Amino acid sequence: MSEDASAGGWSTIESDEGVFTFLIEQLGVKDIQFEELVQLDSDSIRALSPVYGVIFLFKYIGSSTTSTSNPQDGTFDPAAVDSDAGFFFAAQTIQNACGTQAILSIILNNDPSNPSLQPSSTINIGQELRSFKDFTRGFPSELLGEALSNSSLIRETHNSFARSSPFANETQQDPAARTEDVFHFIGYTVRNDILYELDGLQPYPISHGPCTTDEFADKIIPVLLKRTSRYPPEEVRFNLMAVCRDLRIKAQEIGDVEALARQKRKRTAWEWENALRRHNFVGFIGEMLKGVVELKLEHGGEAEYQRWVEEAKKTTEKRMTESQARRKGEAGDEMQE
Amino acid sequence: MSISPIITFKAGLCNLNTATDPPRVKPLPEPGYIYLYSEDSEDGLVHFCWRQRSASLDNPGLKLVMVPGDGSFTPYKATSSQTPSNPNKPTNGRIYVLKFSSSSQRHLFWLQSRSQHESSDPAWFSARDLKLGQIVNTLLQGEDIDVQQAIANLPNDQNGPDRDDDDATMEDVEGQNHDADHHRGGSGGAGPDATGGDVREEGQEAREGGADGGRAATTGSTDASSIIQNFLKSMEGSKAGQSNPQGNLFTTLADLLTPASTIPLIDSADESVIDRFLEFLPPTLLALAQEIDDAAAVSTDALSADAAKQAIGLEQKKDILRRVLRSPQFSQSLSSLTVALRDGGLPSISEALSIPVTNGGFMRRGGVPLGGGDAVEAFLNGVKEHVKSNSQAKK
Repeated sequence: MSEDASAGGWSTIESDEGVFTFLIEQLGVKDIQFEELVQLDSDSIRALSPVYGVIFLFKYIGSSTTSTSNPQDGTFDPAAVDSDAGFFFAAQTIQNACGTQAILSIILNNDPSNPSLQPSSTINIGQELRSFKDFTRGFPSELLGEALSNSSLIRETHNSFARSSPFANETQQDPAARTEDVFHFIGYTVRNDILYELDGLQPYPISHGPCTTDEFADKIIPVLLKRTSRYPPEEVRFNLMAVCRDLRIKAQEIGDVEALARQKRKRTAWEWENALRRHNFVGFIGEMLKGVVELKLEHGGEAEYQRWVEEAKKTTEKRMTESQARRKGEAGDEMQE
Repeated sequence: MSISPIITFKAGLCNLNTATDPPRVKPLPEPGYIYLYSEDSEDGLVHFCWRQRSASLDNPGLKLVMVPGDGSFTPYKATSSQTPSNPNKPTNGRIYVLKFSSSSQRHLFWLQSRSQHESSDPAWFSARDLKLGQIVNTLLQGEDIDVQQAIANLPNDQNGPDRDDDDATMEDVEGQNHDADHHRGGSGGAGPDATGGDVREEGQEAREGGADGGRAATTGSTDASSIIQNFLKSMEGSKAGQSNPQGNLFTTLADLLTPASTIPLIDSADESVIDRFLEFLPPTLLALAQEIDDAAAVSTDALSADAAKQAIGLEQKKDILRRVLRSPQFSQSLSSLTVALRDGGLPSISEALSIPVTNGGFMRRGGVPLGGGDAVEAFLNGVKEHVKSNSQAKK
């Protein structure tokens, strides 16, 4: 699993719009945010415009394309990177970095080097990422992937958003963790008026045909629907996020006070979550435990204390038996197949 | 011959590797004493010695006969009131160096008594630490000093003896890499023949200062958090001692500290208790809560908004605590800490939180930490005893 940060390891981070937004902000990107899309329709995407792309997170069930000839949908475009020096396509080398990698694949392809964008609409990727992009110009995708995973700036920023607990799933015996599903991130964006799918596990960018930035909101929908239809519905867990311009700016521009207030509140909530995420709760837990024990003893003496502990023990036991039963049941099903 | 040490204090040896740049200091875990004495049969030369705690006075591991004025005993890149924010901090402990003007020979030692610093910065030289070193240095200069009186005048130990006798330990922290192996020394007094001994409490586990991937340390128990942070990190990838179905399942911290149990604690607490709890949370939460409320207050009538803000001071604080107790981040931390306890973290955790547990969290035989449900149970029992003895004290 993840190693000590200083030794070059990447931690897992949540795929959360607040986490992603703060992450790129820390990297120096200006005025960009992530917004989760709860509905897959073009109006929802258009409402957020300018949209620079979407990040699609899904459960990865193994490479369905072992051959390098055809992807399942769309076509490989090996020439894309060759003819366009500013096209950023990196091979994925580290599993835990895949979210950050997908984010960067959208951000770095929508800087001023993208001819599909009006100069005033391009993303200001900030000085550090600009240097990174300049330094790696012309790198083949594997080397680019290496450079990305070796970048201490990117890795350390990524790791600073790691979950407060590396063991969150183990004690709770989360079934999702049991099956060791691997989650994967893919970016979709428009560049050179083509709709591209950028997947670090594929050898090349995948083209889904001609598309302008205005058409993106419409053309992306069938592409994503086709993608989600590949999976058995009961096994799909996916999450879609739009990369768009800071919505506070938009609200301000059109004088929408209500929207501005809403966006501000959202940011404050993100900061709240982030503060908790980074916090080490050990001392606080100690205080809570002491406080509750004291309260129980004061309230009803030893008897109440014991009642409290017994109830907790029952809950733990119940969960244990339930999950064991569930596992047996599932194992049974698998064996029958 | 009988040796009467003039001064004795707990210290350990260090290796200094000058091959690297910067030179690397490696503390050796063996608990020991530095002691000085002068033999009447020789010309009053001072003998500077180091021995293991278990060794006798005439069997030191290191013995140096000091010519007056040749040796000096000084803090090594110290953090103290003179240099409070020491950028050259070599380690997370207090190091003294014994140098000679007659040669380039150097010996480094680390203080094994408990750090006196308020928030237990393990590299902090307290006034007492500095004075102790000065006494030794003075002796090495050959100056006359009434050691007994000087020791009696040492600034007092701030933290009373309220814990088990434990040695300080230290990790070598030159640069990034560190040894996550927490050494535990045996305890033991200064021995019947020690005079002018350093009667302070033995120090605690040394702490890692902020070297945890850049995450901000918190207020309140800063060092407790660091210890556990590093312990958890050192456990990543290892599932040692995980679920043991035949053994005591006991329960988890999450099942104990459910909102049903914790919220009433907040509801019934008064302002001073609430304020104390808040010290263990990131200070930004208060500011953020204010922002949220400000935004909401904008839409209401100005007069009532102001009044509302005044009145909800305590209630708002309680709200923050309630929100935190229900947050996924808090739940995750409960799980994480439970796993840490089950996987052998009880000794470090109980110590970091100053909650005494039976046998310091170890099994009765051998230096193996308790694990599984037993560890969680021992932890909870420790808390209960702690709470009980505190309320006795209040009465």
